[in-house]
Amino acid sequence: MDWASILYLGVTFGLFAVFALIVVRTYNKKSKDRNESAKYRMLDDD
Amino acid sequence: MEKPSYNTDIVRSFVTWSLVWGLVAVLVGVIVSLQMVNPDLNFGPYLTFGRLRPIHTNAGIYGWGVGTIFATFLFMVQRLCKQPLWSDKLAKFQLWFFNATIIASAVTLLLGYTTSKEYHEMEWPIDVMVVILWVAFAINIIMTIIKRKDEQMYISLWYMMAALIGVAILYLVNAAAVPASLFKSYSAYAGTNDANVHWWFGHNAVAMALTAPPLAMFYYFLPKSTGVPIYSHRLSIIAFWSLIFMYLWTGAHHLLWTPVPDWIQTLAMAFSVMLIAPSWGSVINGYLSMNGQWHQMKENYLVKFLILGITFYGLQTLQGPMQSIRSFSAFIHYTDWVPAHIHMGTMGWVSMISFASIYFLAPRIYGREIYSIPLANLHFWLALIGQLIWSISLWVAGVLQAGMWNAMNDDGSLTYTFMETMVEMYPYWWARVIGGAIYFAGILIFVYNLYMTVRKKETIPSTTAEGRA
Amino acid sequence: MLEKKPVLFMILATLAILVGTAVTMVLPFVWVNTAADRIEGVTPYTPLQQEGRDIYIREGCNNCHTQTVRPLVAEVLRYGDYSKSGEFVYDRPFLWGSKRTGPDLARLGGKYPDAWHYKHMKSPRSMVPKTNMPDYPWLNDNPLDPDVIRNKMETLGFPYDDEQIADLTGKTEMDAMVAYLQKLGSDIPWRKAAETTIVGDLTNPFPGDAAAISAGQAIYASNCAACHGDNREGMIGPELTDMGMEDAELYQVLHNGIPDGGMPGFSNLGSTKVWQLVNFLNSGQ
Ligand code: HEM
Ligand code: HEM
Repeated sequence: MDWASILYLGVTFGLFAVFALIVVRTYNKKSKDRNESAKYRMLDDD
Repeated sequence: MEKPSYNTDIVRSFVTWSLVWGLVAVLVGVIVSLQMVNPDLNFGPYLTFGRLRPIHTNAGIYGWGVGTIFATFLFMVQRLCKQPLWSDKLAKFQLWFFNATIIASAVTLLLGYTTSKEYHEMEWPIDVMVVILWVAFAINIIMTIIKRKDEQMYISLWYMMAALIGVAILYLVNAAAVPASLFKSYSAYAGTNDANVHWWFGHNAVAMALTAPPLAMFYYFLPKSTGVPIYSHRLSIIAFWSLIFMYLWTGAHHLLWTPVPDWIQTLAMAFSVMLIAPSWGSVINGYLSMNGQWHQMKENYLVKFLILGITFYGLQTLQGPMQSIRSFSAFIHYTDWVPAHIHMGTMGWVSMISFASIYFLAPRIYGREIYSIPLANLHFWLALIGQLIWSISLWVAGVLQAGMWNAMNDDGSLTYTFMETMVEMYPYWWARVIGGAIYFAGILIFVYNLYMTVRKKETIPSTTAEGRA
Repeated sequence: MLEKKPVLFMILATLAILVGTAVTMVLPFVWVNTAADRIEGVTPYTPLQQEGRDIYIREGCNNCHTQTVRPLVAEVLRYGDYSKSGEFVYDRPFLWGSKRTGPDLARLGGKYPDAWHYKHMKSPRSMVPKTNMPDYPWLNDNPLDPDVIRNKMETLGFPYDDEQIADLTGKTEMDAMVAYLQKLGSDIPWRKAAETTIVGDLTNPFPGDAAAISAGQAIYASNCAACHGDNREGMIGPELTDMGMEDAELYQVLHNGIPDGGMPGFSNLGSTKVWQLVNFLNSGQ
């Protein structure tokens, strides 16, 4: 495999890793309350 | 907690002016649609189709679209941050500078000062004005957000900030030009490069002005109208990051089969198809938020506008990726199919959400309940029917036209001359005039309803009015 | 965390936006419009042509006309050779357009004689009765300003000489427009390359056939009358009553046109229609 393909694959997998990280971070059980709290707060009367 | 005193005057003013420019945009839309069926309606040199069409598009996107964005963002940011606006003076400046910019645009475009780049037609002095305007707006929003107490930011704020950054980058890069005089400049990029830069801008103007801001509004006004929160804040976060990441790769789907390098076209095609996921992330989030609330579709006219709007967004983001596939683009690119796509987006998605937002704002900025709900319902149906006539007739026209352009005889020659295909469009273009007139009638009723609301004697009792102001 | 910190959030959002931007918008500059793209024979616009181009932009012609031929069969047949990147290196801005309310113009240069364009721009419906293109008569009334045009050439860095600037005096915007239209797509010799030679004997498939003659008459009315007159009395093109051409010879002319004389070829009508025309023209009616 030449360097271009390796780089190409590397970037692709890197991007998937970032995406996976965002999903894991967002859906982490521990932070459920934190990540869902905003949708209730915005309903406060104003 | 003491309620901060929100600035509603500025929201009211922006609503008024966005309505004015919206009326202009749609009226000019009807005029250019008439010019397409009857060339005698061109009154040269100023009032020809070539000069009026950019006025229609720019008044639509920047006058009506961005005007509503200004109104709703300034409203939402104060409430979502529980902070008054960072600077009332700056907002006031923004209001007048906005109108000055739109008027200067309309006048210079009529005079023929144009760069020819779609949605970026205004010449360089107006680009400078746009930059000043956007910076004033962005600073006010961002500073208000920064001032707030540390709390998780609601998804609408995310989309708002992305739009602020996105529009700034896109507009600046695509504006690069060398002036030859006060009203004439030459693009800093040439030929194929210019095309590629321009459609990177063009498609992402759709993302950052016609997708992210209406999503910010949708995520705010839907729960506020139904009284129940959105289905999942976390889903909206995933969709957000994916959307703003993917959109920027897709510009070349406007340039399939052109001399732009193939690999850019292929990337654009792939990312456009992937965009279905984050787009539908929001659509599904919207639908699931209606769980147990579907009865509100009958009872609450705001919900009707919002749900129809997000539905058109869903259709738009299925149709768009389809158009981004090489074989499909080979067929429908350059035909009347594409304006039908555009207007499902602008008249269906962007405008429906904007109508709902303004109806929601009305009692809060005028201190009076809406004058007539039946009229609002009538407006809904006229907008829906007008838009459907517009789009459906032009989809049919586009397919017919594409078929005729490609039809070949047994001996390998073309079946139709160009004019033979063009005259077949006239009935469909007439149908569009009718659809457009119906839509325009709907907007007139909308404006009348708001006008009568302002004139109403009885105000909302002060306790609640304050709560809502 | 970042959901609470707007500044950090905006930095991350900017990065997300810049990845696709860097790859699909910035990176292409490495290849596009470089030596690899150059095509010999593609020249910058002359002062007159450049002014014509600027008028094309001012009038917003690009709102109805595109300027790229895609490499698709029907499109190449209809408009001519497909567009190459190197043909656009002097185009600031690009004018590829996005909607074909009217036909593509990328290969327009050399298709019609100048006289056709002068009449067509002044009143399109006099040449193409059912078109919806607006009239542009005022272009005839507006004189060119040589100083303004010289300044534009300087800004663009295009070569020009004083004679070219002096020649602009007395010319109108219409002259500039026509000069521009005639330059479009003609930097490469595609017309010569596309010309077909007919091999073998040509025999008229419908000699004297009344149906063919009346079909030919209808084709004449919609494709030829604008230049040769409703009754073949001649206008922009010569009169066509007594040509004294053999059927086969006439077929060749209609099929390929007369590039030097400004007559377009009609091969894309297909051989049947061209033969019908031949029968009409040679019918003595
Ligand atoms: C996943 C989302 C979308 C994709 C992949 C997409 C794709 C496309 C494509 C391929 C075209 C060019 C068609 C052609 O010329 O052949 C186009 C045009 C356009 N689309 Fe979309 N679309 C999407 C969503 C939207 C949305 C939400 C709007 C909102 C209004 C919109 C507005 C427009 C406009 C204004 C144009 C016209 C640009 C022009 O040619 O002047 N699109 N879209
Ligand atoms: C009654 C309503 C409307 C009518 C009758 C109308 C009519 C038209 C017509 C005739 C065109 C030219 C199509 C062509 O060249 O083939 C056009 C283009 C366009 N209109 Fe509208 N319009 C309406 C509403 C709107 C609104 C509300 C917006 C934006 C918020 C909008 C945005 C656009 C855009 C972006 C284009 C450019 C299409 C392209 O690039 O191909 N229109 N419209």
